[in-house]
Amino acid sequence: MKTRHPLALGLALSTALAAALAPVPGLAAGASDSDTERQARWTEIATSIFGDRKIEPTDTLIKVDAPARAMDAALVPITLTMPEKDKIKGVHFIIDDNPSPYAAHFTFGPAADPGELKLRVRINNYTNVHAVAETTEGKLFEAQKFVKASGGCSAPMGMSDEEAMRGMGDMKMKFSGDAQSGKPVEATLMIRHPNFSGMQMNQVTRDYTPARYINKVTVSYGDANVFTMDGDISISSNPVINFAFVPKGNGPIKVAATDNQGGQWQHSFTAPSPSN
Amino acid sequence: MPNPPRPALAPRLGAALFALAALLAAAPADSPVDVPEPAELWTGPQHGYTPATLKGATVIDVGALDALLPEKPVLLDVAIMDRKPDGFPAGRPWLPAHRSIPGATWLPNAGAAPLPPDEETLFYRRVEDLTGGDRGKPVVTFCHPECWGSWNAAKRLVAKGYTRIYWLPEGVEGWQERHDTSVVRQDPAWAARSTAPQR
Repeated sequence: MKTRHPLALGLALSTALAAALAPVPGLAAGASDSDTERQARWTEIATSIFGDRKIEPTDTLIKVDAPARAMDAALVPITLTMPEKDKIKGVHFIIDDNPSPYAAHFTFGPAADPGELKLRVRINNYTNVHAVAETTEGKLFEAQKFVKASGGCSAPMGMSDEEAMRGMGDMKMKFSGDAQSGKPVEATLMIRHPNFSGMQMNQVTRDYTPARYINKVTVSYGDANVFTMDGDISISSNPVINFAFVPKGNGPIKVAATDNQGGQWQHSFTAPSPSN
Repeated sequence: MPNPPRPALAPRLGAALFALAALLAAAPADSPVDVPEPAELWTGPQHGYTPATLKGATVIDVGALDALLPEKPVLLDVAIMDRKPDGFPAGRPWLPAHRSIPGATWLPNAGAAPLPPDEETLFYRRVEDLTGGDRGKPVVTFCHPECWGSWNAAKRLVAKGYTRIYWLPEGVEGWQERHDTSVVRQDPAWAARSTAPQR
C-alpha cells in the first residue's frame, strides 16, 4: 500500500476543496457542484490509498449494496458481490465522507469463494461508498453507492465501556448449506468486540473512549487461507462478516484476530466436511 | 409544562407531573419529552435532548429556513469537529470533511459552555463581523439534532441584544434531507483561537 504523509495529503485535499468551493458564492451550490466536490474527494482518497494506480469503473466485477437510507448509522449492512469470482484477488471498502474513509481491505486466499462478502459499518454522513476490486491481474475496478446515514462514528454504544468490553474476543461461526466436495460453504463470523472508534464520548464521564478496534482478522481452512481482513474504526461494534469458503480436505476453520491495543484471539470451529 | 389539570384530577395528575418533573430534573438528557428550557446556558454534555423553545429567539425548521434565505441570514454552524483518535495509525488516511449548509460559517465548538473568556470574546467579535455590526440582521444557529451547542450559541446572541436570532434544531441532518450540503472549512479567524476541549 502506498501512503503519503498525512499533512501533505491534508494540504492537497484542502487545496482541492478550496478549488472546488471557490466558485460557489454564498448559497448557490447546485447538484453539479456537490457532485464535483464528492468526485474530488474520492480522487483524493483513492490517491492516498492506491497512489497513481488507475481505477476503472465496472458494472460486472464488483457490486456494492447498502440500504439507500440506513436505519442505524452505526450498523449499516453492506453487501459486496463479485460475480466473476475467479478473477478477484482482494476487495477494498471505502466510506468517502468518514473521517477515516478506508474501512476494510480483504485479500482472498486459495480456500476462499470470493463471490460475496457482507459486513456492517459505521457511516458518519450522507456519503458515497466505494468498493474497489483488485483482480488477479493486479487491476483495480470500482463501484459506488450513495448512502444516507449520519452520526455512526461517534454514536455511543448505550452501555458502559466495561460492559461493552465484556467477553471481548469471543467468537461464533454459523454455517449454511451442506458441504459437498468442491462446493462453497457460506459462513457467518461474529466477533464480540466493541470496536471503539475513538470518536465516541462516554455520556457520563464526558471523556472520549480510546480507540480499540479489530485491525486484522485471518480466516483459514485447514492449511489454506480463506481471507485476511485489515479493519478500521469504521467497522461496527461486534463485527459480523459473511463470507464463503471451499472445503477441500479437512478443516478445522480457524480465526485469528488482533486489535490495535495488542489484543489477540484465536478460535477454531468444526467446519462442515464433504460427506462423500 | 402542560396546562393545569382539571380540579378533580389534580391530585393524581399533580403527583404524576411531580414525578415526571423529578425524573426530568434527574436526567433531562435522557428524555425526549418536555426538556425544560434552562434559564442560562446549558453546561451539560452538548449531545442530548434539547428543549422545544428558546426565549428571545425563533425556533425554525428547514422549511422556515428556506423562506428566510432570501434575506441572506448569517448561517452559524457550531458543530464540534471530528476528533482524531489517539494513536491513529500514521499510514492510514485521516481526512475529516465537515459537511454543512452551503455558505455557512463554521465555528466548531462555539456552543460549548463555559467557553474560555478569550474564546467567548472571539465568538462575539466574529458574529459582529459577520452581521456587519447590525444586531437586527438575521442569524441562524445550528449543529446537529440533539445538540445543545447551537441552542447555547443562540442563547448567547439573544443575551447580547441580537433581535433576529433563529435556532434550527434539525441541524445539518435536517438540511441534507432536502438540500445538498457543502464541505465547509473552519472559519480561519476562529481556527486561530486557543482550543477549549470539546465536550
